[in-house]
Amino acid sequence: MHIDIDEISKEFGATAALHPVSLSVPSGALVALLGPSGSGKTTLLRILGGLEFPNAGRVLFDGQDATNLTVQQRRAGFVFQSYALFRHMSVFDNIAYGLNARPRASRPPKAEIARRVANLLALIQLPDIGARYPSQLSGGQRQRVALARALAIEPRMLLLDEPFGALDAKVRKELRQGLRDIHDTTGLTTLFVTHDQDEAMELADLVVVMSMGRIEQIGKPADIRARPATPFVREFIAA
Amino acid sequence: MSDAAPALRHPVTTERPLTRWLLIGLVITVLSILLFAPLIAVFVEALRDGLGAAVASLGAPEARSAIRLTLTVAAISVPLNAAFGIAAAWLVAKYDFRGKTLLLTLIDIPFSVSPVVAGLCLVLTFGAHSALGGWLVAQGHPIVFAFPGIVLASMFVTFPFVARELIPVMVEQGRAEEEAALTLGASGWRVFRSVTLPNIRWALLYGVLLSNARAMGEFGAVAVVSGKIRGVTATMPITIEMLYNEYLSTAAFALAAVLTLLALVTLGLKTLLEIRHADALAAARRH
Amino acid sequence: MGRPLIQRSPIPGLGLSAGITLSLLSIVVLLPVGALLLKGASVGPAGLWQQVNTPRVWAALWLSFRLSVLAALFNLVFGVILAWVLARYRFPGRRLVDAAVDLPFALPTAVAGIALTTLYAPNGVFGAFARDLGIKIAYTPLGIFIALVFVGLPFVTRTVQPVIDEIDREVEEVSATLGASRRHTLRHVVLPMLAPAALTGFALSLARAVGEYGSVIFIAGNLPMKSEIAPLLIVIKLEEFNYDGATAIGIAMLLISFTLLFALNAVQIWSRRRIGHV
Repeated sequence: MHIDIDEISKEFGATAALHPVSLSVPSGALVALLGPSGSGKTTLLRILGGLEFPNAGRVLFDGQDATNLTVQQRRAGFVFQSYALFRHMSVFDNIAYGLNARPRASRPPKAEIARRVANLLALIQLPDIGARYPSQLSGGQRQRVALARALAIEPRMLLLDEPFGALDAKVRKELRQGLRDIHDTTGLTTLFVTHDQDEAMELADLVVVMSMGRIEQIGKPADIRARPATPFVREFIAA
Repeated sequence: MSDAAPALRHPVTTERPLTRWLLIGLVITVLSILLFAPLIAVFVEALRDGLGAAVASLGAPEARSAIRLTLTVAAISVPLNAAFGIAAAWLVAKYDFRGKTLLLTLIDIPFSVSPVVAGLCLVLTFGAHSALGGWLVAQGHPIVFAFPGIVLASMFVTFPFVARELIPVMVEQGRAEEEAALTLGASGWRVFRSVTLPNIRWALLYGVLLSNARAMGEFGAVAVVSGKIRGVTATMPITIEMLYNEYLSTAAFALAAVLTLLALVTLGLKTLLEIRHADALAAARRH
Repeated sequence: MGRPLIQRSPIPGLGLSAGITLSLLSIVVLLPVGALLLKGASVGPAGLWQQVNTPRVWAALWLSFRLSVLAALFNLVFGVILAWVLARYRFPGRRLVDAAVDLPFALPTAVAGIALTTLYAPNGVFGAFARDLGIKIAYTPLGIFIALVFVGLPFVTRTVQPVIDEIDREVEEVSATLGASRRHTLRHVVLPMLAPAALTGFALSLARAVGEYGSVIFIAGNLPMKSEIAPLLIVIKLEEFNYDGATAIGIAMLLISFTLLFALNAVQIWSRRRIGHV
């Protein structure tokens, strides 16, 4: 699905989190929203997911105005930095959650849900952990379960907030490849937020550099490296 | 900027405004019936014959002796329980020993024992028919149906209050500060006064406050051990019962109003402590 | 040899603090509770059973237990709602309501007892209203229920409220992104997280209600077999100098409380093991 962000602005009280920003994300792209904390990247991601609503501007999904869609209607697979797994549910129940939450009429039968969960567990290469609880998983396993849970609802896009933020360096490297693979397998339009320019440059097709609620530059990693558009971008990617 | 602003939405992590206001309404209605109405009723009944009559009834010998007795009991039992709380918290927080869990369980016993059963226990221990009680009576020191029994009953029901408040606070603070003070040559007593006490003073005050309110208001345990001797072992709550049963409503509610004011002051101070010194209290984490 | 009874420590005051702790604990709590158990042992199981096994005692125990469960159930449901409203909503007077929740902890039970009786007696404000509807509250089990709700009111709210404060909002958000309605989120995500704390509050409220005396006897009517609670029966037995009878009921009540607390502990251990928190 292709996403258009049209002159979106957002204020929290008196402070502007986003000055009007516009961005067009082609269908199937893997996009990094890169910037320091307070740059507005997470706010932008949450607006796309329907968790915040902009003060002005529009969000378009495949050309259709999606600004007023509720979070439930958006069907965005959202992965939080903390993963926000339901700790009182087994891994299986976590992944099945979105399917079980559907109204009875559109809810798949139990066997179908089980089959889909098994497929997702295979996709994240953790086929045997369905019966475990989140507290029994490592950080990397939790991240992949959160990803599988987001994929279970057959989302129209994948939104990830600092997906590697809570992991140590070694696991981080492995999971970058994991995300790339899942993106390539599913073909979902994917946006992830990061403050780590290595991560953005290595993983993304398209990097959006943000600072103080504005988009500083949009481009392929190589172009941004070669031709930083503003002094901020030059300094930030050199850091 | 605000042109075509979408309809104002509530965040996804809260309920619809209608649901919210219905729940708030429900809560306030139920609390008005259950909490606020009895509170108002106490003062309305106390002032039924006017403020003069209420004050006059507090001056009656029976009421005065009850107030004096209740104050004396609290003045003895609360400091003793505070001393116990400090000692127990010091013991649990500063040393490692076997049986710590058992000790904590034993301290909590009064929470799970009915006040009447507590009174019964004291009667069985110190009553004139028991071995120990018989001997004490022979020595001229009766405990049951006398002042010491009331103190023991009040102590029993409030026994864990201060300890329960101090133990988590002191455990969390650890031992480093005390150890540092010791290496600097401070004496044990000085370490306690200048290092430990400032760290626990708000938690201590909190525990003492709750313990005092409960001790002054204790009814069931005291009813059993006091013998309800007018002017001698009748505390304020016991006197309230006696006056109420004799249909001396104004006098009963006047005494009740005094205890209610005490409860309100306690709640006020407690709230103040929770707002001002939340970080120094264990209550916020415990309940 | 195992580990030593007490690890050596450079901090002074071990003897003093252990002395104060153990001697006060012994005199105030252990000795009296021990005396009850000793008395029970001397009466013997058969004797205790004989004392308990009378219609009047069974009626009192059953009344106390049944109404306590009902009151604690009411407090479970209402306490969770109250905790949610206090933790999540902002409205004028919230602080006042929050402080007032602890009133049953601070207000002497005898005061609560006479105040509730005044309100719910047939000529009281609420009692007259109920009488017009054909309901009698004071001097019936319904009155006892109200008094027990009053004394147990704060427990569930005060155990659940901090848990609500600690809920990670992202967990609720993620539930919404997965398509769940708010109602589904509350039912399947929020409530299960509150359940262990709510159960703790329920058990505390129940334990308090089973042993409650002061706030109940005024409103209860105290008719044998109808509205006579177990603690009152202990008082009556003592007034008759029937120490064996009082001991038997006292031990029965201790057993009820400790069974409750034991069950509560088991639930907590189970939930901690399964989901890594209480």
